[in-house]
Amino acid sequence: MIPERVLLDRQVIVCAGSGGVGKTTTATAVALAAAREGKRVLALTVDPSRRLAQTLGVSRNLLKPTPVPADRLAAAGISDPTLLEAWMLDPGVVADQFVHRFAESPDEAKRLTENRIYRQVSRMIAGMQEYTAMEALYTFMREGRYDLIVLDTPPSRHALDFLYGPKRLASFLDGRIFSLFLPGEQQSLIRRAAGRVIHRVNAAVFGEEAYSDLQEFFSAFSRIFVRMNKNASQGLESLKDPEKVAFMLVTSPATESMTDAFFFRRKCVELDLPFRGFVLNRSLAAVDARTPPPADLFGPTPSPVERSARSKLMALAELEQAAVARHRALLGELEAEAGADAFTVALPMIPTGAEDMTSLVRLGEVLMRHGR
Amino acid sequence: MHDIFGKRVALITGKGGVGRTTVSAALARAAARRGLRVLLLEIGEPDGDYTPLARIFGRETFPAEPVALEPGIHGCVLWASAGHEGFFRRVLPVSALVKAAMGSGALRRLLDSAPSFREMGVFYHFFDLLERKRPSGEPLFELAILDMPASGHTLGLTGLRERLLSLMPSGPIADVLNEGKGYFHDPALTGAYVVTLPEILPITECLELIEGLEQHGTPVGGIVVNRVLPDPFTPQERAALEPYAQEPWYGMERFRQVPTAARALERLRQSTTVPIHEVREVPLQGRALVDAVAESLAEGAR
Repeated sequence: MIPERVLLDRQVIVCAGSGGVGKTTTATAVALAAAREGKRVLALTVDPSRRLAQTLGVSRNLLKPTPVPADRLAAAGISDPTLLEAWMLDPGVVADQFVHRFAESPDEAKRLTENRIYRQVSRMIAGMQEYTAMEALYTFMREGRYDLIVLDTPPSRHALDFLYGPKRLASFLDGRIFSLFLPGEQQSLIRRAAGRVIHRVNAAVFGEEAYSDLQEFFSAFSRIFVRMNKNASQGLESLKDPEKVAFMLVTSPATESMTDAFFFRRKCVELDLPFRGFVLNRSLAAVDARTPPPADLFGPTPSPVERSARSKLMALAELEQAAVARHRALLGELEAEAGADAFTVALPMIPTGAEDMTSLVRLGEVLMRHGR
Repeated sequence: MHDIFGKRVALITGKGGVGRTTVSAALARAAARRGLRVLLLEIGEPDGDYTPLARIFGRETFPAEPVALEPGIHGCVLWASAGHEGFFRRVLPVSALVKAAMGSGALRRLLDSAPSFREMGVFYHFFDLLERKRPSGEPLFELAILDMPASGHTLGLTGLRERLLSLMPSGPIADVLNEGKGYFHDPALTGAYVVTLPEILPITECLELIEGLEQHGTPVGGIVVNRVLPDPFTPQERAALEPYAQEPWYGMERFRQVPTAARALERLRQSTTVPIHEVREVPLQGRALVDAVAESLAEGAR
């Protein structure tokens, strides 16, 4: 299978990878490349760098997807200004919208979103990002407004966090947790006795005041949480469709992220998620046909300075050649791991960070061209 | 960097791929060589089969109780659940209630999956290990080195106190957070050390991270710039090669990188007053790399 078909025939591409490998940049390059092919694309990301947001001309923390300005698209060679939208997700914003959608009245929604504990929980860094990314993805998939949605998974240490995030949240939102704080639903004598023990434990663990705050919070949100929980599991389920979805894993040549990449692919297979590609980013494996510096660089009679400059350059050349060989071997390992269902592509290191439009377009071209 | 071995806690942080784990292990070795009793820590992640830090010491993972790794160094993984259990023992007057709490699936689930409560468990485990004493009353571990997870989660942990206190301004959890405050916020006891690379983007991210840490009141003890490229060329040699800088030859990329790295480093020096320590790039891997970095860090702390 070749990446072009993977990148153009799907409705959703999920870009995963451990922290610092250039996942957001790769996801953006894919989104741009698909828009250049005439697809209507949405780029979804959580917490992009300031510079990437500037390149796309889109503010962070907006309430909904926003078209990338026409001049930016023109710079990328896209003349139709409706082709690319971007949304830098804010977990708090997504959670608020969710509450508004499922609350019984605008008044209730207002009361709920002003709850002190809710405001904390919905804006926390871990877990919620994964959930909100899934929730947003699921919503847009159902709406069918875009040909392709490229999801850049939230930043985390391990690529796998995205796959576990919704499960973790689902266990948080599990009904049993409510029984801790809503003892009124327990009727039998034994249960009531157990309820008293739990009450003592809770009061000791949280303190009486925080405990009663938590009770209030859980009783107010129980209905919303059940709904969220349902969406989280449906969201993960919908990503299993191999016709519509492709998972891509971005790695750097560093050992840590390579090992993570292997685990990620295996976990996808285990969870029945369509794994479709490895991207070896910032690697020398993509280097095209470099040659050693010529022996007669400075002509037949080099000066002493020139002679020593050349011999030092030769030493660097040897180091670099060894590094290229090492990165190519890594690429080979990824190819072997990818098997027949998935592609493997190497992207070059761009020292200035690849977050400008020219670099993004160039990386997108490499991704699209590879294997043709 | 010079006072790092006088502290109780070193929080090692930085973006992925900058060599944070290598620096953590190297710092542990440098401290142990000075005769300190070191505890090397990382944060446990569910479903983790191995960790790169444990691998440096020939293990797949660390256990939840300190284990001797090599002379002077113990290793341990911080688990939310271990911290919760310790916390239950502290706040619940009778062991039957501790048992009830640990046996309550719902309570455990709440604490494990609600983000701040998970971090609270990690924090308590950390706090408990630091409070342990020898029979003589001295701390069991003089220096705890914590290999922090990626930046976002680092801020999740250092901002924990503020966040949980706004959620629950008083009560048993607030008490513990206040007691352990110094381990995250007192510059005499603790320092965050940000690991970065001599490149434009990592330097920008490093400065952003320092800003975030300072906002949370976490003292930043130093910056470790890892993999600094030595420039082998004299200015005359560089001038002789300059006309060929864009040639597609092996070695030229490195030739061009050195000045870029130097500029990035210069910018870092201009932008912060935090002490900077540079670790030269060495063509080594695994334990040999850790040793080389340890030597460099020991030098910087002298």
